[in-house]
Formats: sequence, structure tokens, C-alpha cells
Amino acid sequence: MSDRIRLSIDGRELEVKPPVSLLQAAASDGTPLTSNVGCMGQGVCGACRCMVRREGEKAVSTVLACETSAEDGMQVSFIDYFSPHRPHVYDVAAITDSWRVADAVRDIFPEAEHCRHCGGCDRACPKGLEVQNGVALAVAGNLADAADVFDQCVMCNLCTLACPEHIWPNHLGLMVRRAVTALTLRPVDLITRLDEIERGQQPITFSGEDDDDAADRTANRAGTPRKG
Amino acid sequence: MTTAIAYATAVEALAKASPDGDAELPLRPGQLPRAELLEAYHPDAGAQARVPLRIGPNRGDPCHPALARIVEGNALIGDVDLAALAPTSTDVLVIGGGGAGAAAALAARTAGAKVTIASKLRIGDSNTVMAEGGIQAAVGEDDSLQRHFDDTIKGGHNVADPALVAQLVGDGPDVIRWLIGLGVGFDLAGNATGGGRLMRKRAGGTTAARILSHKDFTGLEIMRVVREAVELDSGITVLNRAPAVELLSDDHGRCAGAVLYDTDHRTFQLVHAAAVVLATGGAGRLHLTGFATSNHYGATADGLALAYRIGARLREVDSFQYHPTGVAHPPHLVGQLISEAARSVGAKLVNGLGERFIDELAPRDVVTAAILRECAEGRGIERDGSVGVFLDTPHLLKDRPELLEKQLVSLKHLADRCKVDPYEEPLMVYPTLHYQNGGVAIDRNCATSVEGLYCAGEVAGGIHGRNRLMGNALLDIFVFGRRAGIAAARQVQAPRDQHRIGLGHVQRWQRERMRAGITDQLLSPVLYPDYGNFELRSHMAAGREG
Repeated sequence: MSDRIRLSIDGRELEVKPPVSLLQAAASDGTPLTSNVGCMGQGVCGACRCMVRREGEKAVSTVLACETSAEDGMQVSFIDYFSPHRPHVYDVAAITDSWRVADAVRDIFPEAEHCRHCGGCDRACPKGLEVQNGVALAVAGNLADAADVFDQCVMCNLCTLACPEHIWPNHLGLMVRRAVTALTLRPVDLITRLDEIERGQQPITFSGEDDDDAADRTANRAGTPRKG
Repeated sequence: MTTAIAYATAVEALAKASPDGDAELPLRPGQLPRAELLEAYHPDAGAQARVPLRIGPNRGDPCHPALARIVEGNALIGDVDLAALAPTSTDVLVIGGGGAGAAAALAARTAGAKVTIASKLRIGDSNTVMAEGGIQAAVGEDDSLQRHFDDTIKGGHNVADPALVAQLVGDGPDVIRWLIGLGVGFDLAGNATGGGRLMRKRAGGTTAARILSHKDFTGLEIMRVVREAVELDSGITVLNRAPAVELLSDDHGRCAGAVLYDTDHRTFQLVHAAAVVLATGGAGRLHLTGFATSNHYGATADGLALAYRIGARLREVDSFQYHPTGVAHPPHLVGQLISEAARSVGAKLVNGLGERFIDELAPRDVVTAAILRECAEGRGIERDGSVGVFLDTPHLLKDRPELLEKQLVSLKHLADRCKVDPYEEPLMVYPTLHYQNGGVAIDRNCATSVEGLYCAGEVAGGIHGRNRLMGNALLDIFVFGRRAGIAAARQVQAPRDQHRIGLGHVQRWQRERMRAGITDQLLSPVLYPDYGNFELRSHMAAGREG
């Protein structure tokens, strides 16, 4: 555990004491950390994308730096976040016909039909989602299953970067999820409660409290002597 | 140095305490009344927990000592930095790209304003995306707005602003409708689809099941949708990697925009605006009182420093939430959050003697104090130098093994990274700095005491009193984010003096610091945590060399 390991991050040779994440290792030599960083370990924000080649391996894989442990001999390159122009523009509120969501998919993501099944998206996904299958399901109009494939997507855009047909698979997946939800999710308890509120049947009384009372209590509490 | 029980011994004690796995674990006798427990063990209590502020609108009021240094700090920039800069102009400038900022941007757009949203990192990088448990909204037949109101007031120790709480709970159901309209999915009860009932979970300190969720990554589901909505809106300009380093004021002391630092070009950028919405989030990455944090990298109290310097009043800035169940082991994951969802479905907390020691669904501050008490009194568990208590997943999953795959997906991922098999082995937990209970004082429309400046989300105070309930933060950011956006858009009509926009408030601030004899040269906002290795002037200089 206590042995130090050596690895290369963005061309810098680093020596760190494990266990540390790649993100922690990247900041360990005093380099300012102002981008490609986010949730710092939860693996949900998709900001800290990098390419990794492990010692003795030829293959390069894409991972999130915050959830990947630094290993001896690793070569790591951060991939700067990708935000060029947005080719697939839509307003979810303008998709109004729940019978024709598949048409909207075709209109907004016309490239999806051109998938050449290269598997680049699947290899790129740090979450192991079946991205290519998700695209195929969406093209086939099986929207519920397509939405399911992308349920745990963190929108890191690595599949978008990897796709030679510019399909933007994660954005396609999100669009399908959004459209299906916005058009079909109508919880009866929520509808009832909204109706009650509109009719004034959900009053709130403050139990005789007002702002001044609350302010007084704040002052009292702050001034209370404390036990040792 | 307090003692603790060795990990192996504690695991044995846990196994012995319930050999068949189904017996109820004993509750340790000698429980303290809640108030006494908080006074004795909560990090907010005690002589070191607060100092009086020396300058500004809250002079004399208590503030956490580390935070006081920051809000009393000197500005990062002066007039000389702005000399040759041409301003850009927008109706509404939103600072902060989390849930509250995104909601404010969308709402201001809908109200007809031209919007610029500036984010320190990237839009969406925020505590919002990390929220796991869910969002409160009183939709159940056994529930009401009144109950949600009462629970929130009580949970916050009766110091929240009742008008803000009423707004919070009253807008709740409509916020859920708004989110669904944008395409945010919520789980339904049973296996229903479409028109069923929403699945509701219990949160600590509540009287009804009120947490709506998307599995246990509700924040991710919401943030990816609202971010997409912002990015696809042609009327919203998104500036990424552009932290605000100072607000701008006009001759009348109104807020009139901000100075951003473009970290790519390493230059300042002036943005004039009719109104500014500060939605910069919390302070976890300051690691107050030495605690690890569950927070996002950007949570460094920037908004509190900016707002206070321009004259906005703060409240309860001596009150923070330490979430009971942060990871305590392994060391490189310390502070990562284990969602309250685990306890809300029945997981118990157990000390090194195999005893439960608190009602796991008591309010968060109470549970935290109880864990700190166990550790202080030698009943904590020690492993590789880390101390904590057990979150007893083996007993929970023995009866209901399906929970891990269905409702506790994030817990499963986290256990994997901790190299713990939650079916066999308990997780080691210790409180982690989670939430800033107080913040900038606002009214129901998010107006601060400075005209033209609105606050929403964690940077604002008064909604949660001195303790926040699970699920009320996700609700808060959308209720008040939307209201801030609408109010800010309305400000476009107000008269303003375009010619006198600058750093007048900074000059006044520096005179006030001098009169008060403050010699601490700390500059704020600090923008990044210590380990971010960022210093503004050397960062700019390195850009010129490059």
C-alpha cells in the first residue's frame, strides 16, 4: 500500500502514493485544476474524461478520472470537454403527438439511420451502456427500450466524440427519454394535488408564527451559553 | 486520542448481534435527549464554531470562522483590471450552472429576457447532478402542503422564514409538473407506467412519505434534462469556465452585472446586466472544521463572498449540515456520500459493539451528532487509520436482496469502488460536510437587500433554518430558481444608469476593512479548493508566457 507508483498524465511524469484516483493524481504536482473536474469521485457528472493505457497493454480505453484508480505505469490523457455547435436542435414542448415520437427522432437525428455498427460508442462508454443497441432501438421506433438503455447515461459525450456518423448517441438517447416522459408521465396523485391547490383546498397556516418571531429565536439561539 | 474498536472485532460483534440475520439489533441504552446530543456533539455547537463578523451588513452576527475570513476578504480585482475592457450586455446574468442557475435561465427566457449564464466549470457541474435521494413534494393522499410546511419548519429548528417555506412547499407539485414537462422521469409505485401513482419514499424527520425519485440518481436525471434544455435554447448564452470574480455596481449601489474570469483565455470579461441571479451553490469544498465533503469541486462559497461585499445581508452562516453517512474508508473516497435512501429503505447504523445507537430516520443533524458521540466515546470502528460506524447493509439485503439492483444503484457503484461486497460486509461511514443551511437572505421572489441582485439555491438562506431535510434542496433550487429568473426578467423594465457601472462597492468595502483594522489579506471568492492549485495572478501570468 505504501509504495509509490509512477504514471504519466498529459505528458507529466508523476509519482504518487496509492490509493488515489487519476483526478487526485493529476492535481498532485501543483498543476492548476480548473477544468475537466466535477463531482470528484461519484462518477455522475461526466466532466473528467480521459484516455488510459495501462502498463503492458496496447489498447487505450476511455474512463472517468474521478472513479479510476491510478496504477503504476499508466499513461493518461485528459480529453477536453467537447462543446462545438449543436447540430440536433429541438424543443421538447414542440413534440406534441405521442403517436409520432419516432418521426421526431428521425427529423432531429437523421444520422441515426446511418449507424455503421462500428461499436465505437460502446467501447467509448465509461459506464458500459449498450449505446449502439440504444441507437438501433430508437431508429426501429422501440422508444421505451431505447430510453431504458440510456437510463444511467452521465452525458459525458464520449460516444458523441467516438461516432464517425455524427449521430450524437447520448443526446439522441436523452431526447427519446425526454419526449417519452413529457408525453406520457401523468401521475394521478400529482394531478389531483395540483387540482386541489388550484381550488384553494390546500391552505397553509403558519401557526401564529411570523418573521419577527423567527428572527428573535435566531438571536436567542446564537446567544445561548453552551456546555463545555 | 480517543480509542476505537478494531475493524475485525467490530465485524465479529455485528455478526454475533444478529446471528440469523433477521433479529432486531439491540438499541444501546443511555440515549441523550436530542437537544443535549446536538449541543454536545454537533460540529455547529461549541465555542470554536462561530465568530462575530466585523464588517458588512451582518456586523456582530455569528459566522463560521473559516467562512468569516472569506466573506470579510478583500476583492480579487480593482479598477485597474477593468481599464481597457469593453463590456458585453444582457438582460439577465445568471452566475452558476447548477439546477438553480439553469432553472433561473429557463424561467427568465420564458419571461422574455435575454439571458447569459456563466459557470465556473461547465454548465451542469454542480451538487445538483450529485443529488441521489430525491425531491420532496407533497402529492400523497395522506400528505398535504401543511404537513410538508410543518415538517420543514420543525426540521429546521423553527428558525426558517415561514413565508419562504410556504412558497417552497406550495410550489412543490407545480415544480414536479414543470420538470416532467421538460422530460424528467420519476419512478412510479409498483410497476405502473404513465398514469399510475408516484413512488414515494420516507425522508428522515418527515411525517409522510414525500420523496419522489428517479432510482437513486434523481439529481443526474434532472440535471441532464435541464442542462439540455438550456443548451438548446437559442436565447441563452452559455459561458463555461468563466467564474465570477466580482459583481458590478452602479452609482446607487444597485447590482449591474459582473466581472468574469475567462479561464481559457486568462482574461477578464465584463458583463452588464439589468439583473443578476447568483446561483453559485454552497461551501463544502472549504472543508469547514476539517471535515471531508460530499460536495462538488466548485462549492467554495463564491456567491456569499460576492453578495456580502456588495451589501447583501446573510443569515444563519454559522449553520451547516454534516450528512451522517459519508464514506469513512478507503481513504481516497472519504467524504463521498452514501444516500439517505439506504436508511430510508431500512439500513441501520451500528457501532463497534454491534449496537444500534439512534433512530436512523431522525433528522440529519441528530444522526450526525449521534455518530460523532459513538466515535468520541470509543465505540467507533477503526480501519487503516479511518474511524467511523457501520451502515449495516448485510442485514438489510439478507431480507431484501433485490434492493441493491433496483433502488440503490448508486450505493452499489460506490460499494464497488470501496471494494466492499454490501451483501457480506457493512460500509464504514462518518459524517461528511454536505450543505450550507444558511446563506444570502432573500424574499419570496429571491430579491436580496441589494437591488438588482437575486439569489437562488444553496447560496440563499432562510428556507431550511438550521437543518435541511432530505429532498428539500432539489425542491428549493427549482422553486426559487424559477422565481429568481422571473423576478430578474421583470427588473429589465427598471430604470438604470448605464454610464456609472464599476467597482464603487469594492472601494467602500476596502475603506470599511481598514476602519475595522482587518489586516488578513485573504482574497475572495477563492474559486477553487486548496488542492486546485489556483492563484489568479500567477494563472494569468502563465497564460502570457504560453
